[in-house]
Formats: sequence, structure tokens, C-alpha cells
Amino acid sequence: MEFKLEAHRIVSISLGKIYNSRVQRGGIKLHKNLLVSLVLRSARQVYLSDPCPGLYLAGPAGSPGAPPQQSWEPPQQTREPQHRSRSVPLPQASRGRVARSPRPAVTGTGDTLLGGEAEAAEAAWRRVEGPHKPRVPAGGSDLFPEEPRAARRHCCCPPGAPTGAADDEPPAPPPVCPRKRSAAGAGGGPAGCPVPDSTPLKKPRRHLEEQPGGGDEEEEMETGNVANLISIFGSSFSGLLRKKSPGGGLEEEEGEESAPEAAEPGQICCDKPVLRDMSPWSTAIVAF
Amino acid sequence: MLLSLPALHLQTSEHHPLFQLPHGRLGPWCSPTGSPAPLSCETGCGEGSWILVCRLLVPTQVSLLSMEEDIDTRKINNSFLRDHSYATEADIISTVEFNHTGELLATGDKGGRVVIFQREQESKNQVHRRGEYNVYSTFQSHEPEFDYLKSLEIEEKINKIRWLPQQNAAYFLLSTNDKTVKLWKVSERDKRPEGYNLKDEEGRLRDPSTITTLRVPVLRPMDLMVEATPRRVFANAHTYHINSISVNSDYETYMSADDLRINLWNFEITNQSFNIVDIKPANMEELTEVITAAEFHPHHCNTFVYSSSKGTIRLCDMRASALCDRHTKFFEEPEDPSNRSFFSEIISSISDVKFSHSGRYIMTRDYLTVKVWDLNMENRPIETYQVHDYLRSKLCSLYENDCIFDKFECVWNGSDSVIMTGSYNNFFRMFDRNTKRDVTLEASRENSKPRAILKPRKVCVGGKRRKDEISVDSLDFSKKILHTAWHPSENIIAVAATNNLYIFQDKVN
Repeated sequence: MEFKLEAHRIVSISLGKIYNSRVQRGGIKLHKNLLVSLVLRSARQVYLSDPCPGLYLAGPAGSPGAPPQQSWEPPQQTREPQHRSRSVPLPQASRGRVARSPRPAVTGTGDTLLGGEAEAAEAAWRRVEGPHKPRVPAGGSDLFPEEPRAARRHCCCPPGAPTGAADDEPPAPPPVCPRKRSAAGAGGGPAGCPVPDSTPLKKPRRHLEEQPGGGDEEEEMETGNVANLISIFGSSFSGLLRKKSPGGGLEEEEGEESAPEAAEPGQICCDKPVLRDMSPWSTAIVAF
Repeated sequence: MLLSLPALHLQTSEHHPLFQLPHGRLGPWCSPTGSPAPLSCETGCGEGSWILVCRLLVPTQVSLLSMEEDIDTRKINNSFLRDHSYATEADIISTVEFNHTGELLATGDKGGRVVIFQREQESKNQVHRRGEYNVYSTFQSHEPEFDYLKSLEIEEKINKIRWLPQQNAAYFLLSTNDKTVKLWKVSERDKRPEGYNLKDEEGRLRDPSTITTLRVPVLRPMDLMVEATPRRVFANAHTYHINSISVNSDYETYMSADDLRINLWNFEITNQSFNIVDIKPANMEELTEVITAAEFHPHHCNTFVYSSSKGTIRLCDMRASALCDRHTKFFEEPEDPSNRSFFSEIISSISDVKFSHSGRYIMTRDYLTVKVWDLNMENRPIETYQVHDYLRSKLCSLYENDCIFDKFECVWNGSDSVIMTGSYNNFFRMFDRNTKRDVTLEASRENSKPRAILKPRKVCVGGKRRKDEISVDSLDFSKKILHTAWHPSENIIAVAATNNLYIFQDKVN
């Protein structure tokens, strides 16, 4: 149990570092953030491997989306059918979807959060999905390339975000990106469309959004790195949340090589009991 | 010009007024113990003793303004500067480098300034002052910049300085911040032309019709002036933060390395560079390691090494292909599974790699150890030295306060027999490769009077603490020695402790 607490603490510290790195002078340092992400991964592995009850999702992974999710559900609706179809051969992967739940949980309890942070957290979470997508094995991958790219074309990115380069990006980057952007647009709705103004929170967020999956063409090193971190971050949470499921161990070993994440959308675990138990984690999310 | 203070010796210097020396530096050489030690490169650190030559402060802007004030105010300001906690962050030294003869010592700081010190010439009447370094030139190398496209501020901190070998009367050095490398020319001017025809003594133009005779201007001596001019600016070639630069032994090219790429430049060409290493993955989520340091072989202009955050070193031959992504040699030591922890990856990340002067060995520094590798053996280092193994149990706290990310450098002495690296609490360590002896010394003003012999320090790990030992828990982790330099041929070392530069010399009888 003490390992779990230690791992928990380390993850919280690591998340804090990642968050701070976004506002530090000189830009995000790739090396340091890579090391922090490695620590995150190690801590997560220990956390998962330590057989200890508590803090986990009570309901099955397949429960439908909770109301709080509705706010940003619509943009993902288009994605859902694909997700479901893909999730069929990969029941474990579906559980990864629950990673999304903390987001609505976060926004649901938005009154306690700063709007900007919620948006950043949401954007961060959406990033989580993104990187996982391409890893869906053969069955799902065919479905990916076309739709997302098309979706990307017409997704509404925050005004001012340098999206010109996005169109030139190869399909390899997570197709979730468009959903991310539109969701960003929609998710930003409650708090207003995320205009790229000069607030510090908005700026890093814009970086997140304009950097779908590494942006080889764009050379956006900071955001690529953050995407990497978020994929681990997200996988860590999804792993924790579906701890009860037998497939928990199958959750990606390598944070970067994330397991297929084509689960049903709307997976949630934002039930109150879980939220209560999860409070340190959600606090960390908020911080992020 | 400086006025002398009663409490502090200040040297008047024509070169530069910003200069302080500790009191009493003109004292005799001999040490309290009186036992001599040979001054020679071949002496290991075990036999010799180290004495403080001088401590140099990189002055803050405060002291610049106070130059004209009266003595009392100056005293206050000087004591203000003494306490390093008041020193501004811009004065923190970020790199130290001797030139190839050891005559000059360059430091770069977080404020983008470069300060060059010059060794005092030996003179008959002041023989004791040989070996001390005085300020020679100061200039602002880099300014803070803003990348508008990415909304990022580019720090002006000087990451590395590398000297070029001297080929004429001027000195050349490369200095780099996160994004831009600059070639600076430092030259002396001690004569000025006088006797112009068209200008009068004050420089005003004369009316040509009033000139009745012509004369040839002559060069007359003037006060020595050292000027630094930027000769080349190598910009816009790096997306990620530059961590190393290295001058090639052909003296025509150099390389600059960032987290994911290494570029090869020609000194004459600033608008092009060749990319020779690129480890950026197609998908950034697959990123697992970054480049942490790179250096050219001292003699073979086709060979270089670069270290990674995974604790590996790759040696590449530029003759093999244009893009050296496939290494020629790969140095990695298998990890000891018993030492595995959350932070194993962090502490195995190599922070510095240096070729020996002979070119036969490379030395790497990771968080807890220094390792010496033979180029002919790739599967493990030939020597491993524990720098501060007592920190192994404290990694979690060091992770919390970010100290675990500190990038310590390491240096060889001129004969490759001794290696040196820094630690915390202003400690630095020397390891004699031949005698296998090591010593821990401290660079602090409290404990070092000029010419006093440095007393070896010891960290007590557990149990009973002896009188002179320091316990691990009382180490000051804000006082870290990341940058050190060793004179290329003599036993003179420069140690940077925050905003102080300490120069130590092996004691001479």
C-alpha cells in the first residue's frame, strides 16, 4: 500500500511539474519533460501492479455517458459509431475510454474550477484520446484515415490558432484531433470560445490544439512533447479507472505506445463515490 | 576606475573596472603546513593540495551604478554583493571554459553576458601574482528574444562557450544560448592613429581650404582597450534547445546539438548548416530519448560522440554517410536491476560527455556517477566513480525540488590522469585515475582565505558524525557546482559556484 501512496504522490508531483513547465520562461524543455513523463509511467506501473483495492471505478466499463458529458458530447457523436465498431474486437480498449470521464467530471464541477483551467484540462484530456487512436490494430485502422481528416478540414479551430499547417499534416497523427478541435470549440463554449489571447493558460492550450500528434511538419516541439505526456497522463488515468477490469493489466506498458483506445465514447466513471475517491486525481487534473 | 576600499582590496584595472579580489591576496605563498607539492600535470590530486588563488565575482548592475558613490555606500553595496542570496539570477554563471593555452578563461552567465579573464603575466616584482586571473573583457553576447510564431521567450542564458584555437592576435570564441550560436572576436587595441589631415584633434572635420600642409598619420600608443565584436551569427537552425557546441579539429567546422538534432556548420557560412544527426521520431509520441551532449574527437575530424538521456553514448563517423543516424559504436552499460527505482531513468541520463585529451577515452557524467569509457570497449565503462552515492536514497526529495534534473559537467586534467566534477553544498570532487584516490573540496568564501589550503571535506552518510564531517541532511542543495574547468596544461582549476568564480591552483613549494 505504501508503494501505491508513494506512486500516487510521485504522479501528483510530476503532474505539477508538467503544469509548471508550460508557463516557465524559455519554453517547455523537452528533456526534462521527457524524464518527468518516464517517472509518471513508472509510478503508474507501480500503482497498477500493486494489488490494493480502493480508488477505482465501481461500475462496469460499458456504462453510457453521464449527463455532464452532454455538453461536449455532440462533437464526438460523429466519432461514436466508429468507436463502437472498433471497440468490438477490443473489449479492453473500450475501457480506456473511461479516461474521458474525469473531464466531464471536471467540467461538471466547473463551479469550483477556473474556466480556463477546465478548458485546459479538457483540451488535455482530448489529447489523451488522440495519440491512442492510431494504435488500434488492423481492424480499426482502416476506418481512421478518411473521416478524421475530413473532419479536420471542417473542424472549427479557435480563431487565430495557426491551423494552416494542420491541413498539411499527414494522416498518421491521431485522427482524434479534429474531434479535439471541434470539441475544443464546443467545450470552450461554456467558457467562451478559446480565443488565442494573451492569457498564459490560453497560450499553452493553443499549443496543444495546434499540435495534433507530433506535427512533424510543424516542428512544434513543445506541443509534441506535451501530447506525449498527455498520452501517458491519460493512459495512466484510464488505467487506474479501469483497474477493476481484468484487462487492466493489458493497459499499455509503454505510455507512448498506448493501447487501442477505441472504446465507446461516453464511458464514465464520474459517479459521486468515484469522484470522492478520485479527488486527489481530479485535483491533479485540474492542476494540469 | 575603482577606488580602494579599506575593507577590501580592489585592483585598479585599465581593462575593466568591475573587479574584486578578496582581501590579502598579496600574501605569501607558503602554506601553514609548509610541505611542498610539485606543480605539474602529472601530479595526481592525492599528492597535491589545492589553494585558492582568487575568487571573482561577476558584478551585478547594482555595483556598476555604485562605481561613483562614496566609500560608505560602496561598502554597503559590496557587502550586499557578498551574500549570494541577493545576487540576481542573471549573474549565475552558466558555463566556464579555458582557452587552448589557458591564458584566457571565459564565463557565461544567465543574463547573456560573457566575461573573459586573463591570466596575470609573470613579473619579477610580483611573482606571487602569477596564476591569478583578471577581468579582460565583458560583453553582452545574447539578448532575450521572443519567438512570435510560437509565443515563446528565448532565454539569453549562455549554455556553452567554446574557444577557437588562436591563429592570429585576436581571440575567437563561440557562445550559444538555446537557439543561436555566435562567433565573437576579442581583440586588443593599444594604438590609435593620430595626425589626420581632414580631422582635427577632437575629430571635427576641418575645412579643406584651411589645410596648408599634409602629414602622415602615425600610430601612437593608447590605453589598452579590449573590444569584442560579433563576427558571425548562426541562427534559426534549431527547433529545440541547443545543449552543446563543439569545434572540430579541422578548425573549419563546428557542430551544435539540440535535443533531437545535431547540425554541422562551417564558420564562414551562416545561412546553411548540415544536419548530421536526427533522432526525431516520425511520431513524437514515440519519443523515448533525447540528445544531451555532443563533442568532436580531439584529433579525428570525422568522429564525434553524442550522449543520450537513456545513458547511452554513440560514436559516429561522418565518412560513413551524410546523415549519421546509424552509429559506428554504441556504448551502454547494462543496468543494475537491484538499483531500479522510479527515478532510474532520470539518474541514468547523461549530462555531459568529454573526450580525453588523448582521444582514447570518453568520460560521461550522470546524476550520481562519472564513468570513463575506452573507445575500444562498448559494453561497459572501464572506470566508474561514485560522486555522491549518498543521494541515492534521497532521489524522491531531489525529484521534488528539481535537483535531480541538475546537469553536472565533468572535466579532464591536461594529462588525463585526474577527472573532476561538481556536487552540492559547493562541493566538487576529483578522482585520480592512477592512484584511485579521490578528494572532496569545497568552494565557499567562508572556508577559503586566499592562499589557504583547501581542506578535504567529507560527507557522513549515517551513524556517528565525526567532527569535520557534514551530514547528508545538512547539505545545501541550492549551492551546486555544475560548471568547472581545468587549465589545459597546468593544475589550475576554475569552479563556478552560483555567481562566484573560484580559481584554485595546485600548491607550489
